[in-house]
Amino acid sequence: MADVVIEQGGVARTARPRKARSLRNMLGRKSTVAFFLTLPLILLIGLLVLYPAFYSLYLATLNKAMTKFVGLGNFTFLFKRETFWMVVKQSCIFAITAVIFKALIGFIVAHFVHNIPGKKQRKWRGMLLVPWVIPPAMSTLAWLWLFDPSYSAFNYTLSFFGVGPIPWLGETFWARFSVILVNVWYGAPFFLIMYLAALKSVPDQLYEAASIDGANWWQKMWYVTLPMMRNIIAITTLFSLIVTFANFDIVRILTSGGPLDTTHLFATWAFQVGIQSSDIPLGACVSLFMVPILAVAAIFILRDVNKRGNEA
Amino acid sequence: MSRKTLTRRQFVAATAMSSTALIAAPYVRGAYAAGKLSIGFWDHWVPGANDASTALVKEWADKEKVEVSIDYITSNNKKIELTAAAEAQAKSGHDILQMPSWWPHAYSENLEPLNDVMEPLIKQNGEVNGTVKYLGQLDGKWLAVPATPGSQIKGPCSRIDLMKKHAGIDVQEMYPAGSPPKDDNWTLETFLKAAEACQKAGVPFGIGLGETTDSVDTAGAIFQSFGAELVNAKGDVTVKTDAVRQALEFYKKLIAVLPADAPSWDDASNNKWLISGRGAMIMNPPSAWAVAKRDAPQVAEQCWTHGFPSGPKGRFAPFLPYFWGVWSFGKNKEAAKSLLVHLSSPAAIEKFVVASGGYDLPAYANMTKFKTWAEEGPPKGTLFHYPDPYHRQTLSIAASPAPPKIAQQIYFQATLTKMALRFAQGEKMDTALAWAEGECEGFMRT
Amino acid sequence: MSTLVIDKAGPTRKLGSMSRDRAWALRWSYFFLVLFAIFFLTPPLYMIITSLKSSAEISAATNPWWVFHPTLSNYVELLTSNQFLRFFWNSAIISIVVVIVTMLISIPAAFALARMKFWGSATLATGVFLTYLIPDSLLFIPLFKMLAVIQDLTGITLLNRWYVLVFIYPTLTVPFCTWIMIGYFASIPKELDEAAIIDGASWLQTLLRIFIPVALPGLIAATIFAFTVSWAQFLYPLVFTTSVDQLVLPVGITTTLIKGDVFNWGQIMTGALLGAAPPLIIYAFLMDYYIAGLTAGATKG
Repeated sequence: MADVVIEQGGVARTARPRKARSLRNMLGRKSTVAFFLTLPLILLIGLLVLYPAFYSLYLATLNKAMTKFVGLGNFTFLFKRETFWMVVKQSCIFAITAVIFKALIGFIVAHFVHNIPGKKQRKWRGMLLVPWVIPPAMSTLAWLWLFDPSYSAFNYTLSFFGVGPIPWLGETFWARFSVILVNVWYGAPFFLIMYLAALKSVPDQLYEAASIDGANWWQKMWYVTLPMMRNIIAITTLFSLIVTFANFDIVRILTSGGPLDTTHLFATWAFQVGIQSSDIPLGACVSLFMVPILAVAAIFILRDVNKRGNEA
Repeated sequence: MSRKTLTRRQFVAATAMSSTALIAAPYVRGAYAAGKLSIGFWDHWVPGANDASTALVKEWADKEKVEVSIDYITSNNKKIELTAAAEAQAKSGHDILQMPSWWPHAYSENLEPLNDVMEPLIKQNGEVNGTVKYLGQLDGKWLAVPATPGSQIKGPCSRIDLMKKHAGIDVQEMYPAGSPPKDDNWTLETFLKAAEACQKAGVPFGIGLGETTDSVDTAGAIFQSFGAELVNAKGDVTVKTDAVRQALEFYKKLIAVLPADAPSWDDASNNKWLISGRGAMIMNPPSAWAVAKRDAPQVAEQCWTHGFPSGPKGRFAPFLPYFWGVWSFGKNKEAAKSLLVHLSSPAAIEKFVVASGGYDLPAYANMTKFKTWAEEGPPKGTLFHYPDPYHRQTLSIAASPAPPKIAQQIYFQATLTKMALRFAQGEKMDTALAWAEGECEGFMRT
Repeated sequence: MSTLVIDKAGPTRKLGSMSRDRAWALRWSYFFLVLFAIFFLTPPLYMIITSLKSSAEISAATNPWWVFHPTLSNYVELLTSNQFLRFFWNSAIISIVVVIVTMLISIPAAFALARMKFWGSATLATGVFLTYLIPDSLLFIPLFKMLAVIQDLTGITLLNRWYVLVFIYPTLTVPFCTWIMIGYFASIPKELDEAAIIDGASWLQTLLRIFIPVALPGLIAATIFAFTVSWAQFLYPLVFTTSVDQLVLPVGITTTLIKGDVFNWGQIMTGALLGAAPPLIIYAFLMDYYIAGLTAGATKG
C-alpha cells in the first residue's frame, strides 16, 4: 500500500515541482485525504450502528429496572417462555414463506414482462412496481381496511360466491396468511425488477444457440436462463430474507401480533416487550436473536461481495 | 414544538374562526409573569371537547396569571403511554400529564404526592370508587388526581329492536330512563341466552377477544363476577382455582356465539360492528352510539346504554379512569396543583361532561346525575344509566386486585382474553391454566 | 442502467408455427400480467375509492368498490388541518435533510473507497455493506436507551424531538447509497482521473469536476433511494417521537387518524394516499433512475 502512495505522490510532485511543500504535501497525501473523506462514514457507522449493536448486548444482561447485572438471566428467562419459541417459529415461517412467494411471483412476472414488446414494457413495469414505492405503513392501512371484520371489501366480494365471511385477521391461519400476503404484495415488485434486469443481461446469442441445438422451453430455462441469473437470484433472495425477517410495519399495523401472539415476529415482539411494557433489557434480548440468522446471511453475502470486489 | 404566543383577543378570534384547526395544535396564551405551566392532556375524540378543556384552563390561568401551554396527546397506538415513558426516562416534560389507568402506579417514583389536593376534593365531591383508589393511591399516598375527560364505563350498548325481537328482552323496560333499573333477571345466564339467540338470528354480540382495552375490560368484568382472580391482592398466583375454571367455562360458551374474527378485534372493531348494524350488542362507552348518530342515525335511534349483567359474585362493570399526574421533577408543581383543584370543581366537571356529550365520567359518587345523561338522545335517555346513577354495579378494572404493577402486565398482555381463547379453541383446561400461570410468574419480574 | 431501457428485439424465427406460438405466448403473457396488475393495484385503487366517500356512505356498508356520492371533503379536511400539514412538513424537512446528509457522507466515502486504495479500504467497503444487514429492529432499543442516557448527561432534549431522526435515518440510507456510488465510480475509466491529477487537479477537484458529473445518474438513483427510505421509515419515529407536533407522516396517520372509537376510514385512506404521493410522484418522473438504483448492485456484479 505505502509504495503506491509514494509513487502517486511522486507523479504529482514531478508534475508540479514548485508547489511541493511539506504541509501541502501532507494534506495532499492520498491516504490522508482518503481518511478525511471516509471519516464521516466511519463515525456514523461506528457511533450509530456498531456501538448500539454492542450496547444492546450489554443491555441484555441487566435486570428489568436496569439496576443490576444478571448475566444470562434474561436469556434463560426467555428460553422458558412459550411465546418466545412461538416467535422464533413464526419469524421463520413468515420470512421463508414470504420470500419463496416473492421470488416465485417476481420470477414469473419478470418473464411475462420480458415477453411483451419493448415499448409497452415500460408502462407495465411502472404499474407493477407501484406496491414497492408506496411506504409500507401507508399501504398496509389499505390492507387493514380491506380485511376489516365489519366492512371487509374482500368478504363483500366473496359473499357473491357464497364464500365467507373469512376472519382475515382473527384466526391463526388466516392472520398468518394475511400478513404474508401483504408482505408478498409489497416485496414481489423488488424481485420483479431485479429479475427483469437479470433477464435483460442474458445475451440473445445463448438462446439462439440453444434453439439451434433443438432445446425446448424448459431446457432453455434450465440450462441458459437460470445459470445466468443465479447470482442475482441468490443475492436478492438473501437480501429479502434479511429484510423480511426484520419486518416490523406490516405485522404491527395489521395484527399487532395477534390473535394469541400467533403473528408476532422478533421486531414486533421486541417492541411490545421492550418499549410498551418498558422492559428494555428483555426487548434487547429478543432482538439479539436475529443476529445468528443475519450472521449466516452475512457470510453468504460476504462471499459474493468478495467475488464482486475481485472482478471490479 | 410549534408554540406561538397569542394575545387573548387573537385567541378568541381564532377559536371563533375555526375550532377544528386548533383542536390538536398546542395552545399558548398570554405572557404573564407568574411562571409557566405545560400540560399534556388526552386528545379527546369528541369534536369540541378539547376546546372545553382549553377554556377551563384559560379561565384559571387568567386568574392566576400563569402562562400555560397545552399539548393534546392521542391515546391511539399507546401514544400517551409512550409519552409518559419518554418523559419519565428523560426526567423532563409536561408539568401535568394526563395518563390512563395503570400509569400512576407505573411511575409512582416520579410522581408528586397529591394528598393535599385529593383529600379536600373528596370532601367536596363525594367519595371516589374503589377502582380509582386502587389505581390512584399507593400506601395512602395519592399519586394522581382522577380526570373526568376520558374516564368511562364500558357497559353494554344494546340494540333495542334486535334485543326485543330475537332475545325477548326489552332493555328500555329493564333500564328505564329516569328511574332505578329492574335488573334482577339481568344475569350472565340471561346474557348468554340472549347472545345465543342473537347469534342464531345473524346479529351476534360484538365482543372482542383481542389484546386491546375493550376486549380485556369485558373479560375483566366477567371474570370478576365469578370471583376469578389470576393473582390476588397479596401477589400470589391464584390461577388454578374453581372460580377461574367457572369463568373459563362461561367464556367458552360465549366465544362460541361471537363473530369468528373477534380474536383480532381492536377498540374500533366493536364500534364498527354496531354502526354497520351487524350486531345486537357491544360493550363500549357511548362513543359508538355518538358516531352512529352522525353516520348511521337509523342505528343510533335503537341504541340503549345500560348496566352489566350480574354473576355469582356480584355485578361488576368495567371502569377505565384517566388521571392527571404531576411529575416530581416538574418545575411548577404548586401551580399544577392549583390547576388540578380548579379542574375538579363541580362546575368544571359538569362542563367536561357536557362538552363530551356525556362520554366523560366523573370519579366522584355525587356526580352521576347531571342532566346531560338524562337528555342526550335520540332515543332520549339512552345515556341515563351509563354513569350507573343508582350505584348498582361495582366499578372495577380487569386484573384487579392484584398488585398494580403485576395487574398492569396481566392487563396489557391480555392474559385473560388469551387464556379464554386458548380454552375455547380446544386447549385443555389444565393446559390453558398452566399457560396463564407461567405468564403470571413471568410478570413478577423486577 | 441503459441496459434496462434498451428494447430487445425477440430472436428471429423462421417457421410460421413458431410465430404463432409466439403470438399465443404474448396473449398468455398479457392475460397473466393483467391478473398480477389487479393483485398489485387493488389496494391503492381501494384507497382512492374509500378516500372519496363520506363517513356516512362508508358506515352504510354499500358496495365498497363503488362511490355513490363522491366527495372531496376528506381531502379538504386533511389539507386544512394544521396537524396533518405539520406531519407533512416534518416528513418533508426530515427527508430532505437526510438526503443531503446522506450525500455529503456517501459521495466522498464512495470516492475514496472506489479510487484511493488505502490501508483497510477493502475491509471498510465490505464493512459498510454489512451494516446494511443490521436492521432497524435490532437497533431501536439500544438507540432509545442511548438517547435517554445522552439526554440525561447533557441536558439536551433528544427523545420526542423530530430532529433526532435526522441523525438516525442516515444509518439506513448511507450504507446502500455508498454501495451504489462505489459501483458507479468504479465504472468510470481510470484514465480520466489520472489525467486530471497529472494536470494538477487536487483529489477534491477531481471528485467535483469529474466524478460527480459523470456519475450523475447514479447520484440521482441514490438520492431517490435515500428519500424514499426516509419518507417511509416507521419504526424509528414510532419509538423516538411521541408529541403530535413531532410526528412524521406514517406515524402521524396511523396514530392520530385511527382513533380507537371514531369512524374515519375515509380520512385514513386519504391520509395514506397523500402520504404515499411524494414518493409516487418522484417515481412517476424518475422511474428509470429509481430502478437503476435498485438494480445497481446486481447488474454490475
